[in-house]
Amino acid sequence: MAFTVFFVSAWLIISIFIIMPKRLTLIENTFIFLTTSVISINWTWIINEELKYVKITEDPTNYAGFLIFRSLIIPTLLMVQVNLYNASTSVMKKGLVFTASVICLLLLTILSRALEVSTYKDWNLGFDVVYYVILHFFSIGVCKILRKSTRNEVKHL
Amino acid sequence: MNFLWESFDKNEISILILLTIAYSLFFILPFKFKREITWLLMLLGFTIGVFFDFTIGGGLIDFFTLNDTNHYELFDFCYYLIFAPFSYFFIYFYDMFNIHKKTFIFYILLWVIVGVSMQWVFTKIGIVEFQNGYKIPFSFAVFLTTQTFTALYYEHVRSRFQVLKKN
Repeated sequence: MAFTVFFVSAWLIISIFIIMPKRLTLIENTFIFLTTSVISINWTWIINEELKYVKITEDPTNYAGFLIFRSLIIPTLLMVQVNLYNASTSVMKKGLVFTASVICLLLLTILSRALEVSTYKDWNLGFDVVYYVILHFFSIGVCKILRKSTRNEVKHL
Repeated sequence: MNFLWESFDKNEISILILLTIAYSLFFILPFKFKREITWLLMLLGFTIGVFFDFTIGGGLIDFFTLNDTNHYELFDFCYYLIFAPFSYFFIYFYDMFNIHKKTFIFYILLWVIVGVSMQWVFTKIGIVEFQNGYKIPFSFAVFLTTQTFTALYYEHVRSRFQVLKKN
């Protein structure tokens, strides 16, 4: 069940990304995808495997669902979020996009627990909220730094 | 649990030597790409290394261990850093030799052989240890996928952006 849920979620978020009007270039989107996937992979490994705060399922199909969530859904959702964030004209809209994206990840995390993909040991949802919020700020920061760096290079030429 | 190293021996020294060689070459070669393209290629190689290692080299699948242990150490991170210039050189020479439709397959195959050979060397010096039935020929599938993807992605970027520095 978990595999199907996460596979459909990944399909949905990737489809949304493909059809949406993009405010970021291919290079900017790639930077966000790559940096956030490196963080997501490292974070889940350290929390789950090294510190053992969360136990991940040993069922192969459910584990595939976990891999899809970690390596595909999180980075793609962050790309969608930064595109929508940059397209928003007011602080209110930016805040709504940010909050909606964090809530999406939280719902998927709750679903992951409900489907027994992950089981909290010394962990709670509050820590995930903090992690997702920081990850969202990070993705917006990557875009800003990249734009600033590209602009500086153009100035130097 | 030690986040630095299990024991500082030949595999840690080998990683340091490889890092020194790879990054020295990176700085010796003239920078031909624009800054963001250079960073993009480096990041792409690093991420592909991390992605495959944490997906098939850990967790439930766990086909190999790095640096004597399944735990995450400083030198595992250093090992992934080797993939960054590997990806950069792959595209650097791809562009330098003006690889096109007729030479594409040969160029990919050449780099796949380089990649698999490097991994074989890593097993001999103890950086990588295979387990759970994994064998070196399986790495052909990994390298064929990653090198083809990297080249096609670069072609896509090159078709839409100015990738080379203006002289």
